[in-house]
Order: sequence, then C-alpha cells, then structure tokens
Amino acid sequence: MARPQIKEISFEIDGREVRAPEGTMLVDAAKSGDVEIPYFCYEPKLGQPVGACRMCLVEIEGMPKLQTSCSTPVKDGMVINTTSDRVKSAQNAIVEFLLINHPLDCPVCDKGGECPLQDISYGWGGGKSRFIEPKRHFRKPLELSPLVAIDRERCILCYRCVRFSQEVAEDYQLVFLERGDHTYVGTHDGRPYVGPFSGNILDLCPVGALTSTAYRFRARPWDVEEAGSLCTLCPSQCNVQLTIRDDSKVLRAFARDNPEVDDGWLCDKGRFGYQAIHSEERLRAPMVRDGSMLREAPWDHALEQAAAALTRAGAGTAALAGGATTNEEAFLLGHLMREALGSPHLDARAGGALDPQQARVLARPDLSARVSDIDHADVILVVDTELVEEAPILDLRVRKAARRNNAKVVTLTGRPSSLDPNATAAVRFAPGAAEAALSALAAELGSGRATGSRLHSRAGCEPGAIGAAAEVLRAAGDVVVLWGERISDGARGASAVDALLAVAGALGIVDRPESGLIEVPAATNARGMREAGVAPGLAPGLTDAPEAGMPAAEIAGALGAGELSALILLHEDPLATHPERRRWQTALDTAATVIAFTDFVTTALRDYATVIFPAESYAEKEGTLTHPDGRLQRVRQAIGHQGQVRPEWSVLAELAGRCGARPDVRSAPQVTQKLFATVGFLDGLTLDEIGGKGVRWQDRDAASNLPRAELPEGTLEVPPELPEGMRLGTVPSLWAGTTVEHAPSLRFLAPVQRAELAPADAHRLGVGSGDEVEVAAGGQRLRATVALRQAMQPGSVFLVSGTADNNATALTNGVPRTVEITKTAGAVNGAGPPAAAPAAPGPGAQPPPV
Amino acid sequence: MPEPHTPIDDVITVQRGPEPGGLGGAYRAFGATLRGLRTTLGRVAEKPPTYQYPEEKTPVYPRFRGRHKLQRFEDTGLEKCVGCSLCVAACPAECIRVVAAENTPDNQVSAGERYAAVYEINMTRCIFCGYCEVACPFDAITMGNDYEMADYHRSDLIFTKEMLLADAIEKTPLRREGE
Repeated sequence: MARPQIKEISFEIDGREVRAPEGTMLVDAAKSGDVEIPYFCYEPKLGQPVGACRMCLVEIEGMPKLQTSCSTPVKDGMVINTTSDRVKSAQNAIVEFLLINHPLDCPVCDKGGECPLQDISYGWGGGKSRFIEPKRHFRKPLELSPLVAIDRERCILCYRCVRFSQEVAEDYQLVFLERGDHTYVGTHDGRPYVGPFSGNILDLCPVGALTSTAYRFRARPWDVEEAGSLCTLCPSQCNVQLTIRDDSKVLRAFARDNPEVDDGWLCDKGRFGYQAIHSEERLRAPMVRDGSMLREAPWDHALEQAAAALTRAGAGTAALAGGATTNEEAFLLGHLMREALGSPHLDARAGGALDPQQARVLARPDLSARVSDIDHADVILVVDTELVEEAPILDLRVRKAARRNNAKVVTLTGRPSSLDPNATAAVRFAPGAAEAALSALAAELGSGRATGSRLHSRAGCEPGAIGAAAEVLRAAGDVVVLWGERISDGARGASAVDALLAVAGALGIVDRPESGLIEVPAATNARGMREAGVAPGLAPGLTDAPEAGMPAAEIAGALGAGELSALILLHEDPLATHPERRRWQTALDTAATVIAFTDFVTTALRDYATVIFPAESYAEKEGTLTHPDGRLQRVRQAIGHQGQVRPEWSVLAELAGRCGARPDVRSAPQVTQKLFATVGFLDGLTLDEIGGKGVRWQDRDAASNLPRAELPEGTLEVPPELPEGMRLGTVPSLWAGTTVEHAPSLRFLAPVQRAELAPADAHRLGVGSGDEVEVAAGGQRLRATVALRQAMQPGSVFLVSGTADNNATALTNGVPRTVEITKTAGAVNGAGPPAAAPAAPGPGAQPPPV
Repeated sequence: MPEPHTPIDDVITVQRGPEPGGLGGAYRAFGATLRGLRTTLGRVAEKPPTYQYPEEKTPVYPRFRGRHKLQRFEDTGLEKCVGCSLCVAACPAECIRVVAAENTPDNQVSAGERYAAVYEINMTRCIFCGYCEVACPFDAITMGNDYEMADYHRSDLIFTKEMLLADAIEKTPLRREGE
C-alpha cells in the first residue's frame, strides 16, 4: 500500500484565500491561514473525529447551520467564517455550558496554568455565567488506577480518554457510565484501569479530570522547565519531554511527538520510570571491594583500583554492554578493550552474537524498514517477539496500521501474541523452533533455498498454519517484518537468521522501498552498540574486527575455565538477563576482577563486583542512540549529575588512559565526532543534523560506505528435530528490572513468575489456573503460578525472564531446553514458599483476549 | 564642491542676565539668602524632628507594604493558602518558592485539595511590590506593616511558612487617621 498522494486545494477563511491539503479537517486547515479554532475533543491521533465538545463550530457558506470544524473535511472553494456574531455567540454559549458543572477552583486544580479549558474560556468565553444552581458533585479524587487519579466533577465528557482506550490501546477498559449530567468515565467492571499505555490519557485530558498521582500538585508550569530528551528504557526509544524543577529534579515525563518514532504515545514505564533517578537506593558514588564488603570510595581510588586490575588482566579481559549504553560509551568501551587492553572479547547480545556478514546484510538500507513504514504496509509479519513487552510503542503502531489502514497482521511466534486478535493469520511454533518455522515459511513462499522435509513438524506448527500465513504474505505488496532478537539466540542462531533472510528474499523486500525488516532487540541500543563496534567480530562501522573475540556465552565459559580473568559490565547484569545462568554464576565466581557500571547494585554485583562505578541516568546523560530502524537520536542532559556521579564517557576515557591508551577526547560531543568519523556510514554526520527528531543514517549519502554484503544464497541448513518433553520458552516482561523496582509508582507492576500452559497440558499435569508449580530443569528449579493460555501450543511452557525472584534464566542452560513441571503443595501446609502477593491485574499478568 | 567649513560661523552668542554690580547686583546676592534665612530662623523654636529609633518607631500608613503574612481561617484554623503558586507567577523578583502537596483526611492543612507544603519568601530579594497579595485568589498572603527584618545571615532572611504564619513579634505602630 503506497503512501497516499495528497492534493492541495484552496479555500477562503475569514476573507483570506488559504491553501491546504485536501481532506484535512477544517480545524487543521485553518491553521495554515493563521486562524485558530478552539476545540477540546479533536485529536487526529485518536482516529476519526467525534464532534463531542461542539467547541469548534464555524459558519460555512451554503450550510444553514453551524458546523463542527473538527469533523468537516476542507473542500476546494469552501468559504468559512470563524469570527461572525453567530459563531461568537455559539462559542460563548458552549463555554458557558461547559462551565455549568465544571468547578471554578482553578487555583486548587492541578491542571491550572496548562489547561485548555482555562485558555479557551479566556479566549473565546463570554466571561459570565447565568447558572446559579448548585453544581453536580462527585466524590473526589478517585483512583482510576494507581497511576491516574480521576476528578469526575472536572470532566467535560470530551471522549478523548475513552477513545484512547478503545481505539488506540485497544484494551477496551474505559467507558462512559450513566447518562446525562450523571455521566462519568470509569472502567466497565469498576476495576482499576491498568494497561501498559494508561498514562497517555493524562496527556490527552483537556481539563484537570485525569491527573497523574506521581505529579499531582507537585508544581505549576511556571515553576518548571521542560527538557527534550529520549527515553532509554526500551528499544522503542520514544522521544520524551522531561519536566525539571530547580535544575535538579525530574518531576514528570511526557511524550514529545515524533511521527517517525513514537507517534506521540508513551508507555507507562517511560512515563513513570523517571522516579528511579531519584530513588534513595540509587548508587551515587563509586564502590570498591574491601574484603567481603563493598565500600564507598573516592573516585581517584576507584579508578586506580580498576585500572590496576585491568592492566593486570590485559588481553584476559572481557566486556559486556547492555541497557542504555550510548553509541559513545560503546565506542569508548571498544577503545578501552581493543586499544588499551588488547582484548577482542566484547559483546552486547545476551543470547548469541550475529555473524558479521549477517550483521552487514541486516544493516543494508534496502532491507531495513523505517518505523513509519509500518503504517502503510500491506502485511506486517511479527516473528517471535512480543511487542507489548519488548518495544511497546511498536505494538501501538501495528494496531494502528491494522485498524486505520487495513494492514494485515501475521504473527509467527512461540508464545501466543497479544496481536493475535488483530492477526489475519497466527502461527504458533514450539519455543526455540523459530529456525524451522522460518524455513517452512520460506519453503511455502517458494524460496528455492529451503530444504528438508516435514519442516512444519520440526517447528511444531499445526499443519497448514504456515501455508495460510504464506497465502497472506504472497498476496501482499509491502511487507514489514518485525523480528525478535531471540531467534538468533543459541548455537543455531546463524541458521535461523539465514532462514529469516530467505523469507525476506522470497518476499522481494530488497526491491520494495517501503518493505523491510526491523529487529526488536533486547537491549535499548543494541543496534548502536553493534555499529559502534561492541560485537565480538565487528569493529566500528560493521567492518571485520582484526581479531575475532568470543560472544557472551563463550566469555562465560572462558571466565569459568580461567582463560579470561577480568570482566567489565557496562549496564549489564548477566545473572538477570543472560541465559546460561549456571555458567555465568561460575564465571563471576572465578573471575579475578569484575568492574561494573550500574545505577542500582543488584545481588550479583553485590556478591561479585570488585569496583562499581555509578552509572548516569538518561536524564543526566549526553550522547546518541540508534533506533532499531537506524535512526540516530540524541539523549540530552536535563538535570545536573546526582551525588558524585560522573559522565560515563569520561570515566571510560580515564580508564583507557590509565591503562595506557588515552583517547583524544575532552567533551561528550568530541566523542560523538570521533565516532562519526570512524564509522564509515556515519561520515559527515553532526549533532546539529541529528537535531530534535533524529536522522536515519540509511537516508544519508554516506550510507553507501556500508561494507557491501550480498543476500546469502545456497540452501538453508536443515533445522533439528524438536526435543521430547515440555519445551521451555522465555518471554521478557516490560515490568521486570531495576527501573520498575525503584520507581514507587510502578512497583505494583513488577512481575511474579508464572508458568503459561496450554489447557491440555495443565489437565495432563493435574494443575489449574493459579496453582503453584515447581518447574525444574537440569537440577535447577523455580516456583511459578500457573496461567492457562488457550492459544498456547501444547507441549510448551513459557516463563518470564528478568523477574527479581524465580528468574527464568535459571533454567535456560544448554540445549535441549525442556523442563519438568510438578504441582507443589503451595502455602497450604505452610512448608512452601510464601504465596506471591496478589498482583494487580497488570498487563503482564493478564492474558490478552484469545 | 561644498563650501569649506569655518567653525566660527556656528557660534551662537547667548544673552545672559544683567552684568553683576550695582544695586540690582547687591539685591540678587543677598535677597535670596535672606529669604532662606527667614525659613531657617522660623524653625528655631521647634523641637528636633529626629525619631529616637529603635526606642521610638516611625508609625506607618495602614496600606504600608511590609513583611508578608500568611492567613488562617479564624473559625477552622485551616490555612487559607492552597499552594496554587499564583504569587510565584506574579512575583517580579522571583523571591517566592511554593511546593504544593495533597491534603489527606488525616492531614487536612488547607480548605481545598492541595496545600503549600513549602512556602518560602526570600526577603533579600523581595521588593515589597505587593503583587503577590494582588494575585492571591484566597487572600491568603497579605502585606503586613512590619519593616524590621534586618539580620546577620542571608539564609535567615528566607522566611519559611511557619515564620509567615506566625504574627510579627513586635507590632509596628500605625499612623492615626488624618496624621
């Protein structure tokens, strides 16, 4: 589906001839003639206008009655009047009407000073009211959810929040209850409104009816300053605006509309995660191990200890980077490792490194899609990723494409996807069998590369399911493929990516400019780190490294075996996020030196770290990040560094200097400049060019400097047969991790371990929904609560990875990944573990409609 | 070719008063002096107008804008201030800092939903313009009559909410009607 061509037409507004794109609504078209029409309910991001508030009435020549300009598309030759007496009296009347039941205590209201109703009453209201009767009263404020407080007296019933819930987030929780002036917003069942995107209704509310419990009454707009930056809590890299008070405290975050990235939405983790920055438990000074204790130490001492240990280890050092490592930090880590210590062992992917040649193929501009291509795709293929947990804003994008532009969605996942209800074809394969499923799909699409028989049974798919998906894909024009990093995990990762490329080849993605692949990685800046050279076989710029290093899993083995002796952890805790936990446990135990950069000291770091440097939060950081679609964006410093925290680029540069290779950098922009000069395809890029909205490097001329890489040819490897037994799959949770644990508003969402089972399996095991079970593999065991999923493939069980307790990574050791599930007595006899706290119906805990 | 400029042409001679000397000169020299002396000598009998400050204080007019006060409701004792920050917005010297918080049933501080958890006026910066009083929608902040605020440390001149809610220790005398 090509993007529609838009024609310009001309019309007359308030006596002036104005040009505007055809079909835009009058309120928007009027802006091109510098005419402002007041409105409350209109919001194009919410879909079709509803004309609920009647504030935008205008007079159109030839129409007997006043028209709502938010729902009237502009036509050629229209004559519009927004200043006539009729329009003025209508506007005055609407304001007077809205204020009949709206409390007039703006000084108390949290919205005061940034309230559209206040502004419009001043600008277009009559200034007096004839209403002397008592106003309607509700009990207030109520908790609509633990994050949102609702004051129903202030609501003007504009429908925005309800439309968001129904048409954007598609959680269908918010509705209008009662009728007439008794109408109020609530959830249909009276339970709290909890969903991954619930905070967006705070931005949408044009009055003080919906307020954030975290920001409520904290400040007025004139008390604060706004700072544009980037959320670095997940790979979506949404543009945010931080509200800063006294140059030192982040009070709130809201979306900064960038249609190419986030479409103006923000998930609750991005909206409330800022609280972790000011957590009491955050590390604000370096720590150095003193015997069995970690003690706070002056910077100089910590740097000296770290540099001495690293110099001792030399080429026996390995490094893992993760989380929100910026391109600059990744570049300097590469410098520290390769130049100062002479070690090639650095990695940023938990599951397994990408083959260098594949990394270059995947970076090809003609194979990669931009996020906005999702809007206009004919078919969106989601391969083994749960978008709502891994990159939530992309989930909204896919829903929007399906709802507004009739895009077809095909899900090809191990775990039932939350996009299944929107999908034309939904294919389930056995956990870890993505390679076989992709090979089968490639074969169905007529790729000559696929070999092997009974591919669908090797994938554990229903017969015919892949054929049905291929049917949808064959008929498609533009296809956007969103694939999860996890398909490249493990020893067969390279073959799985090869199968993905075979699918891409069969779909003819290379020849279609608006088709492409987008990787959904585990780490926020996975793409940027790879392109800046944090990968075992890749130097900055995706060129071959002079010496190939070990990927993460091998680093663990080598540390355990004593071949390596030191480990640098840049925003990474391998025990929380990496598979092969047993190996990592041994590795950390054996390693002579562990140097970590972190904002919160996790159990693993407390037990094993030699030196810990405090990491900057994203509000303190200056640097660039690369979006999974190749867009470079800037993280800007919004507040001063808390405590003794130092810029991490300077700490890395200082460490490299003390280890004998001081990089020639004195400021953050200088590091950026050096990075851009080193990476061929970023040549000539400047921070000014990146600006506030980012630049995709594929769109610049320098993209031709990407080392050439051809789509692989030749037959695919035959995927292995499925192992017998209950196959284990893991799914990350958006709400797992230190940010959520340390953000008071979000803590209630922190996930507890649950085992998702197909009803047939549960019946066979004799367990029911909510039962406590013990899941065991290779001598490791953990406890989980059973959650039944109708759409789950029998023979599979899914656990959450990254939880604080009972982390699923304990079971992901080696292959095959099969588990034993036994029912436990639970807390009945008191011998079991304490029953998990009854979690609020969080998005993680709540199975989507199946 | 323009004419060459000769500066002397620009000089304008100004007509001054009559030449000194003579009877007129003598009058001008002494007449004004004597008129001044008459005013001076006329006051010789009066007492000196010096106020013996600080034992004796200058009374101020009722609308004199001195040290601020935060008001409470007389009946309930609740603070009138709801922490709306309008005084902060109005203040041209940016000397007021308000951090609001939410009232709870256990901790009802003001009449509305919110109250000022922090209310500080930096008196070293305040220019006593009274805009805060004008801006206040609840008459919670008023300008008092007290003007004795000198102190030894700048930090002591940041008046907190407790200080502003309390009455001034010594009352400044007000001028009587018509004085």
